Amino acid sequence: MKYRSLTLPFLLASGIAVAQVPAEMEGMEYETRADGTFLIGGPTFVFDRVMGAGGVHSESELWTPAKLRDRLLFNRWSGTPSWTPLEPGVWLKTGNELGDLIYQDFITEENRPENRTPILEGGFRSPTYKGLWATARLFQDDHFCSGAYAYRRDMVNGNYTHLGANWAMFSSAYGGLGYTNSLVNASVLAGEEYLWTYTATSRWIPSHYKPRVEARADIKDLSMTVAYEDIEFENLHEKEEGSRKEVNGSVYYKCGKACEKGVFKVAAGLAFRAVDDEGTVYTELEEDRVAWPFMELRVQPVGRLTADVTFGVNERDWLVQDSIQFVAPAPENMGVVVGVKNISGSRLNPLADTKEFYDGREIDLTADGQMNLIQAYASYVDTLGGFVSIGGRGSLWAEHGAETFDVEEIRYREKYDLTTRYGDVDRIEDWIKGVTAELWLNTWYRDMFKFTAMAGFEHIEGPVDNAEVTPAEFYTGFMGDWLLNKTFKISHSIRYRSDAKWNLRSKNPMVVKGDWTWDASFSQMFPKYGISLTGTLMHVLADEVMETVNGGYDRIRFICQAKKTF
Amino acid sequence: MGKLKKLLLLVASLALAALAQEDSTKVEDIAFSKVYLGIEGGEVYPFGDLIDATYNTMYGGLNFRYSYWKNVDGVVMFHYAYFKPRPDVVPYDGVHQASGKLGLDWRFPAIHPIVLGGGFACNWTRADLDDDIVKDEIYDEPGGTLGDNETEFGWFARLNVVLWNFEKFRMGFNFMWEEIWTLPKRSDMLYAGIYVERKLW
Repeated sequence: MKYRSLTLPFLLASGIAVAQVPAEMEGMEYETRADGTFLIGGPTFVFDRVMGAGGVHSESELWTPAKLRDRLLFNRWSGTPSWTPLEPGVWLKTGNELGDLIYQDFITEENRPENRTPILEGGFRSPTYKGLWATARLFQDDHFCSGAYAYRRDMVNGNYTHLGANWAMFSSAYGGLGYTNSLVNASVLAGEEYLWTYTATSRWIPSHYKPRVEARADIKDLSMTVAYEDIEFENLHEKEEGSRKEVNGSVYYKCGKACEKGVFKVAAGLAFRAVDDEGTVYTELEEDRVAWPFMELRVQPVGRLTADVTFGVNERDWLVQDSIQFVAPAPENMGVVVGVKNISGSRLNPLADTKEFYDGREIDLTADGQMNLIQAYASYVDTLGGFVSIGGRGSLWAEHGAETFDVEEIRYREKYDLTTRYGDVDRIEDWIKGVTAELWLNTWYRDMFKFTAMAGFEHIEGPVDNAEVTPAEFYTGFMGDWLLNKTFKISHSIRYRSDAKWNLRSKNPMVVKGDWTWDASFSQMFPKYGISLTGTLMHVLADEVMETVNGGYDRIRFICQAKKTF
Repeated sequence: MGKLKKLLLLVASLALAALAQEDSTKVEDIAFSKVYLGIEGGEVYPFGDLIDATYNTMYGGLNFRYSYWKNVDGVVMFHYAYFKPRPDVVPYDGVHQASGKLGLDWRFPAIHPIVLGGGFACNWTRADLDDDIVKDEIYDEPGGTLGDNETEFGWFARLNVVLWNFEKFRMGFNFMWEEIWTLPKRSDMLYAGIYVERKLW
């Protein structure tokens, strides 16, 4: 029974493996995933939808308590740029989109390729001294900076980055102190940041955080976060300037050890934002503040049955996410889970701004009414001979009132090759239904070899072309990891996604063609010295395309990292 | 206990000890157990299209070699070179290049003086601009992109021929083929150099 209740759900959950190829920045793990539709506009914007999740929204649009320490970039929760202090050590990272000219530049007169851009990072976190530690980090991602490049360059003064002249999508630097013991984990960081956020009108808005200060404290089961942001906006196209002073954060009580033992598990918290805008700003938060109290409940009347509810409500919005899951009786070495999941609410992200302003026009980012997503699913896993497991997951889902955008006008600026839109956030007042089927196979040999093959298919009925993105119908992926001599690690991920389509951000829908992609990572480790050297090739084989309107090109890139842990 | 049994037990325990030793002399013990520091200098020859782009040039730098596995060494190299462009239209005298290489060397047990290796290369370049040249103004001219720092990655393969070993010192030739992942074509160069290295521990 213990085996079934602990191991199998884990196997079921981990059945769809995420590649071990490291992402270029933490928070960008979507770039190596196979199991869905992941369209990257840049390090600060992605359409990320796991096929098995159902519905037509992107995961990063949906608020959940797990994202309390993510960054809110316009209406999305982003793991990048992450201000979560890294583990004690010292590290350096650099990389580049392959294809600079270097000496070819002397002999290439026609059709010079566009400049390729790097990734840069350096940082440290000291070992603790009587619980105290210090950290500092500079990190920026210049990949994908071709997105609306000329328009962005002419929009701001100077290089708008800490290093280089590529108008990187983000460039962050912070330093700070922390304190860690068995009960407390606390830190205060302060820094300066340049950031471009992608908005409902498909523009990129520059934000200069000067400074950004974030304090975190985890005391037993209580987590607190508060950030102060002094953000400057500028737009040289219109000779505009503005600023926003913002305080945001959360208090969160998690279910502790004593609570975990009970039949009822309760967690609760409050997330909040307050802003003070001056001059010309490009978004508005209604009443300049939002408070979002929420609660999580888990009821486990018997070992096999679990019911989860997360709900939040305030004077403007409400959001409920719940699920009931049953681990069905099955032969040994096999696991079967059936469940029902539901998301209902007036807004996917109740903490986001409520209006955007563009060219003197107002874009309403909230919609009347509510959305309802219901999904029924069944998954199974079967382990054969201790070295092979096969699994599958099928689901049926239906969504009514999905959030979308009601386009009034699309504007194209030839000078900058920039397509933007006007309108308001709206709902699809109709049912969209889908059926998904996914299969995977895992095989492994001790800790030396691991291989996963997987494939998924989804059929969607209904007016899905009214949604922002029509997701891919089909994916397949093959991941292999080798660990040689316990010190040399090779990870591969090769995968295919079928066509996906942006429906509402350009005059004609923008089709992101289906393609194969290969990522490979080589890591040499010296465990005795805590040193690791990693080289990663990303997006090999694939065509170098734009995956989002006004987004950057997804190019072949190489990233290397040297790290010494303390 | 009979003698035979004792003997068998001794043999068995020795075998076990040997096996245990085999286990314990794994990577942890070999890695970094020997470390060498060397200096290297030589000439770089552009290949393919690059013959029309730059002249041959001299290079020099430091090498760092360490034991990693049995018969496999890790190598880290830092080399500097100054490349002069061939076309007269390039608006500067030359380009500074710093090259970092990280790879593995495989010592052939059979043909001892020959070592084969390969790995990743990362080259940083920047044009040697006169003070009166503004980099943005030359950007569209040939070589203009190097007015700012440019970095590009690639791979290398090398043949290392040991000529002379004396106590802690070693001397030899290093021939390296380097391909950098540039556009519109890849950039190939051959390095031929001589090195002297000293065992640190």
